Amino acid sequence: MAHTADTHHGDGHHGSYLERKGGIIATIFDWATTVDHKKIGVMYLFAILFMFFLGGVAALAVRYELLVPVTIDPNTGQVQGQFLAALFGSDQPTSVSPGNNIYNRMFTLHGAIMVFMVIVPSIPASLGNFLLPLMLGAKDVAFPRLNLLSWYIYVFGSIFAVSSIILGGVDTGWTFYTPYSATTDAGHPKVVLMVLGAFILGFSSILTGLNFVVTVHKLRAPGMGWFDMPLFVWAIYSSAIIQVLATPVIGITLLLLVFERVLGIGIFDPARGGDPVLYQHFFWFYSHPVVYVMILPGMGVISDVLAVQAHKKIFGYRAIAFASLGIAAVSFIVWGHHMFTSMSELASTVFSALTFLVAIPTAVKVFNWIGTLYKGSIAFNTPMVYTLMFLFLFSIGGLTGLPLGTLATDLHLHDSYFVVAHFHYVMMGGTIVALMAGIHHWWPKMFGKMYNETAGILGAVIVFIGFNLTFLTQFLLGTQGMPRRYASYVPEFQYLHELSTYGSWILLVGFLIHLFNFLASLAVGKKAPANPWGGMTMEWVADSPPTEHNFHGDPVCTHGPYDFDRVVPPHWDPKDYPLPAPEAGGRPMVAHSPDKHD
Amino acid sequence: MIPPTIPSSVSGSIESTMLHTLAMNDYFQDLFFKGRGATEGGAHSDDLYIWLWWFCLAWFVFLMGLMAVFCVLYRRRKGKIAPKSPSHHTPLEVAWTVIPTLMLVYIFFQGFRGYMNKMVAPGDAMEFNLVGQQWFWSMTYPNGAESTSVKPIGAKAASPVFYFPADVPVRLRMNSRDVMHAFWITDFRIKQDVLPNRYTTLWFQAGLSKNPKFHPKDATEAKAMGMEFIADLAGVPYEDHIVFCAEYCGNEHAEMAATIRLVPMDAWKKWMDYIENPVGKPPRDIGEFVWKTKCASCHSVDGSPNTGPTWKNAFGRIAEFSDGTSGPADENYIRESILYPAKKLVKGYGPNMPLISLKESQIEGVIAYMKTLSEAGAKAAEPAGEQK
Repeated sequence: MAHTADTHHGDGHHGSYLERKGGIIATIFDWATTVDHKKIGVMYLFAILFMFFLGGVAALAVRYELLVPVTIDPNTGQVQGQFLAALFGSDQPTSVSPGNNIYNRMFTLHGAIMVFMVIVPSIPASLGNFLLPLMLGAKDVAFPRLNLLSWYIYVFGSIFAVSSIILGGVDTGWTFYTPYSATTDAGHPKVVLMVLGAFILGFSSILTGLNFVVTVHKLRAPGMGWFDMPLFVWAIYSSAIIQVLATPVIGITLLLLVFERVLGIGIFDPARGGDPVLYQHFFWFYSHPVVYVMILPGMGVISDVLAVQAHKKIFGYRAIAFASLGIAAVSFIVWGHHMFTSMSELASTVFSALTFLVAIPTAVKVFNWIGTLYKGSIAFNTPMVYTLMFLFLFSIGGLTGLPLGTLATDLHLHDSYFVVAHFHYVMMGGTIVALMAGIHHWWPKMFGKMYNETAGILGAVIVFIGFNLTFLTQFLLGTQGMPRRYASYVPEFQYLHELSTYGSWILLVGFLIHLFNFLASLAVGKKAPANPWGGMTMEWVADSPPTEHNFHGDPVCTHGPYDFDRVVPPHWDPKDYPLPAPEAGGRPMVAHSPDKHD
Repeated sequence: MIPPTIPSSVSGSIESTMLHTLAMNDYFQDLFFKGRGATEGGAHSDDLYIWLWWFCLAWFVFLMGLMAVFCVLYRRRKGKIAPKSPSHHTPLEVAWTVIPTLMLVYIFFQGFRGYMNKMVAPGDAMEFNLVGQQWFWSMTYPNGAESTSVKPIGAKAASPVFYFPADVPVRLRMNSRDVMHAFWITDFRIKQDVLPNRYTTLWFQAGLSKNPKFHPKDATEAKAMGMEFIADLAGVPYEDHIVFCAEYCGNEHAEMAATIRLVPMDAWKKWMDYIENPVGKPPRDIGEFVWKTKCASCHSVDGSPNTGPTWKNAFGRIAEFSDGTSGPADENYIRESILYPAKKLVKGYGPNMPLISLKESQIEGVIAYMKTLSEAGAKAAEPAGEQK
């Protein structure tokens, strides 16, 4: 029987990366100046989860405001039903204006935080940073110092953007559509702060993407060809290419917007000779590819978790890998489908046709994932429950994209709650659910502790119920005619809005369960084995948590990432996972080290 | 390949019924849309949507069913390893790429046909000019008259009502005075962005339903219905369709609604003749209407604070301006404030007022209306009334 015997190593340089270096000050200094991709990944994870919390609070505020429609008392003329205005101390309002003001700032805050500070960096910056070198068998990313710089730029950009709240908030929507964004709160710096924040965050995104592309090209372990890479790496690689190519466009666009506001140069504002639709073209030329920066890493997580938890070689590995690249390529030529109601008929028709192209590689991936389950050995733990949840929610998100890509039906559904529901099913049901699957799946590797499985599954089920209650109702609101970004609505929509708000509360409960589960795991969790799920890829060769330099010696790739049918997983121990050895012997993936007795 | 359908006459260009076959469709029509699309293009896209619903549902049930069956059949069992099974199958993979592609091509063409119907107006469509502005819609009828009716929608007491003749093609030529807006007639399933720097258009042709509503026959009935009494439209059937602004445009985006009211052609013509020549309509009423539709979002008439100063007791007072000077708020001042909004700002208010182009009779109306809102003005109004 072959497995690595080199996990117990007394050498101090090879201790866990989480080991404290002296007192509290020294530890903080050590983390703040670290170039270790694992620490940077963990710091990203905590920063992103904190921003997720902030964005979530804004989401709850938005849903709370929409619990009842705003009405005017015919006798007193007073505005009723504006909860946020009441909460912030504006009593006896006679105009809807102050309440609308708060609501508009809340939904902008929610969108900007969730898109720029949570979903875009979520999986690549946290799990990607932590796992990419481990999966490739490398000691670190290609440019470790640049990696630390990206984290600081991320934090700096977030502070910039969030500081606009302290100055009273921004009401442009996260899309900053002109000419409204060029004129609102004229003379006040907060819109510029928010826009510059997004601009700065773009640099973090570009640098991380660049780092990952070079890492994948240059730092694969000996023996690892392109088609021996885990699909998570393929996905991160594809999305990193989009980040590098598309993010400069939004950077320039946002800068032009700042020029227009601060220097009065007319680019988008027709009052100064500009064209507002030009802004939309620029904006979506970045923001549509970025939709795939958001979802591709999630698809990567799902591919890996699914294969490991079903203990089955992924079905159609090459198809999934090429589908990732295909999605990345097509994503650059479909931006116009965000603008069917403001473009010429010819342009709309061309973009509609191109949009359907993107559906095909996406569908192929779903077929492959379900094909992977066939004749597998499927475990039901939190990562797998979240993975199945992803397949369910993402399928709804993908299929509801069809009536939006179809021209005749989009003219009705465009800018309605149907769109809101659709992109929440893709972004939250896709990316955030995949992030939850990934966090649980690699939690033992990251922190060396197990989490409580029952609490994890309970949290996942509650999130599932809450999510569907919140957003399924919004599809119906959309088809029935509810426009998005409305601080109030006509009374016919109240029933569905009420259900949606109750759903948001259930979601909160689900995420709180996860939060306590994580904290409990860090405090009193059982020690995690090196390979709790019986994974095949290189990160499972490393210790849990990995040593500072990831591996004992230099690992060599000896088999494909999902060869469950012919190779014994690393650190194979029947006590950890009750699976018999495969019938015929491939060699296990081991860390070959000259100074080691292997 | 299906050629693009450019309707010369509107009827019969789309085979709506082909898609509208299944018995359960009526249930879903009601669940999704609360009634059938009120134009031909709207009905077609409803049918297409419901067809897509069945298409998506079939795929979804098939995929999730497979997933569930596999999860049960191949759940992990202690001591049992997964049997060897293929990890790819080229014919299967080609099939599940090619078949969905063909289906998507079909969906694209269906969507394209419905889109052309919704976008290309018949050559003989009657043209109306529509303006979007923060945060109201206003419309000019073909005879140059502006729309003059209002009704409450949501939290807004007076949203404009636009009268259109039923059963004839109508084309709206739209533009915006400030930021982007979008004109969404939900019952017609159409939406078009309204831009500040170029005209966009939207067309529809809709009829009255089998059970239309009727205008009040006399003043008492009108009061009971909460409508204004219009002698020319007494007892005339009508059909209302709500309009929302669908492109976020700032603070009162959610209140920027309007109503499209369809009436039979002959009644519509009669009503147009009346509003073109509002003979005998007192200036105060014209002013009140202007306030309701164009000023009420910023100026109150009951003394409550808002974006702009209240009109209650505004006329005839000595106003303090932001440059430290002061002066009487008389007829000249009001006229100047309407024509040059930023010239003199009342202390404590910013330069937020847009230029709203009013006709001479409307400016007179606003002055007359403001006089009735202040004690000083009410006295001053009497000799003015005698002069007329």
